[in-house]
Amino acid sequence: MSRTRTSRWLVAVPMGLLALATIYPLLFTGNVAMKTRREYVLDRFSLAPAARWDNIVGAWTSVGMGRYFLNSVVVVTAAVVLLLLLGSMAGFALSQIRFRGSSVLFLGCLAALFIPFQVIMVPMARVMADLGLIDTYPGLVLVYVAQFLPFTVFLMTSFYRTIPPEIIDAARIDGNSVYGVYRRIMLPMGTPALLSVGILNALFCWNDVLIALLMMPSAEHRTLMVGVTALRGQYSADIPTFASGVLIAAAPVLLLYLFLQRQIADGVTAGATKG
Amino acid sequence: MRGERLAPYVLVAPAILIIVALRLWPLALGVNFSFTGDGDRDGAVVGLDNYIDLFRDPLFQTALRNVGLLVLLLPIAVAIPGLLATFIYLRVPGHRFFRSVYFFPAVLSPVIVGAIFNLLLAFDGPLNAVLGTVGLGPVDWLGDPDVAMFAVVGVHIWATFGMALVVFLAGFATLDGALLDAARVDGASLPQVIWHVIIPGLSRTIQFVFVTTMIGMLTSMFGLLYVMTSGGPEGSTYLPEYFIWIQQGQMNRPALASAASTVLFVIMLVVGLLQLSLLRRAVKES
Repeated sequence: MSRTRTSRWLVAVPMGLLALATIYPLLFTGNVAMKTRREYVLDRFSLAPAARWDNIVGAWTSVGMGRYFLNSVVVVTAAVVLLLLLGSMAGFALSQIRFRGSSVLFLGCLAALFIPFQVIMVPMARVMADLGLIDTYPGLVLVYVAQFLPFTVFLMTSFYRTIPPEIIDAARIDGNSVYGVYRRIMLPMGTPALLSVGILNALFCWNDVLIALLMMPSAEHRTLMVGVTALRGQYSADIPTFASGVLIAAAPVLLLYLFLQRQIADGVTAGATKG
Repeated sequence: MRGERLAPYVLVAPAILIIVALRLWPLALGVNFSFTGDGDRDGAVVGLDNYIDLFRDPLFQTALRNVGLLVLLLPIAVAIPGLLATFIYLRVPGHRFFRSVYFFPAVLSPVIVGAIFNLLLAFDGPLNAVLGTVGLGPVDWLGDPDVAMFAVVGVHIWATFGMALVVFLAGFATLDGALLDAARVDGASLPQVIWHVIIPGLSRTIQFVFVTTMIGMLTSMFGLLYVMTSGGPEGSTYLPEYFIWIQQGQMNRPALASAASTVLFVIMLVVGLLQLSLLRRAVKES
């Protein structure tokens, strides 16, 4: 017994070091954001003398991170709401209603899961340009919805399959239309899945850079991640401002993680075990 | 009553229309596009010319070589989270804490991860400063063509091993605990337990992690490459996805980019079909 206890601690030490290596880069960045340029150049590792927010305020206001933040919030919110709405509607129909062609449609969604954005990037840019949607918010939202819809439909269908058909039959006997069942039964009962799929989609959209770069060429339409890449070029000599921009971009994800880690992990494993 | 019969179609229509118009149709469009010309020959059918150009392009050759490197590094990228998940499952002291810390980088954008490591790996940056104090280095992590790709892949593994870890832990939850206890009572060592109990018991999860890790390496390193190296130094950190981006966006050669997309899709298809067959088996078993 004591032998296994010692060996457990022997394993825990390197694992602890790895944990440190996992969080240290972000702590380092946070510390740099609180330092002046001079302090950073003189000693990269010393702790900032105090929690100073000048760099972060500067990055938010004068560098434009505030504007980019707002752009990201608007686009991600619109995309996630649409994804959950369309995904739950389709998921309900594909899982609980028998109709001609339903299995073909489901297979179509499954096939679309295996098409990464890189593969359709060129024609997508053409189609969006033809529709006049390049450099517009609706255009970016539409591409995000298209990108993450197969995954959303797939997970919502799997979730709704676990709801017993008797519940729907009962609601139908009570005089609900199919749409009434969707609104009064499926949407409320789908809350846990909608929450978890919604969080994942929000992360995917918030973290994306490739689609945003392709769709939003002008500076005032940048999303936050594109803003960070631009910051790298402009402020390569001003490391504290650069670090502040990175911190602003990471902060919402950090908060989300602190409060909803369970749901994120569940969403990832649901995606993993089901698709 | 007719409205009721139409209801399922009305419910699926928006999603299906978007998926067909903006996922499946562009795929066909892109494949078709890869057989037409760029620039002066825009729109003209050129047969396999783009593919010939593509495989002669030294940057695309590097991209394919780097895909080969990823395949070679794949076992490491799977073994690390697998081993860590095993320890967490066996409840090393602090296992809850480790689980939540390790998973954290997986939710960060590759752009943020890349930006942070840009700071840490700079030639005059902190990592080289630390190495210097123990008499090593400095290493030009992102500026040496022989080192840069390893640095970027290393950062990618650092950022994503938590994802695979969580998937492994979900697999462990389905493992029969009695088998482990029996092996322990029989005095099996840890390597024996891993080899004879855990690997056979988790074969499905392991296969799944192999496939998803490979897909992740092929399709989610753009942000890292874009921020950390921009494909350099000397084009040594190109991957197909970065090549597609450069040809489409910077070089104005969309047809060549489409050909590269098609090649990437074929690679993905092989990986994806593998996943689909695993999925089908999973559905049958459950």
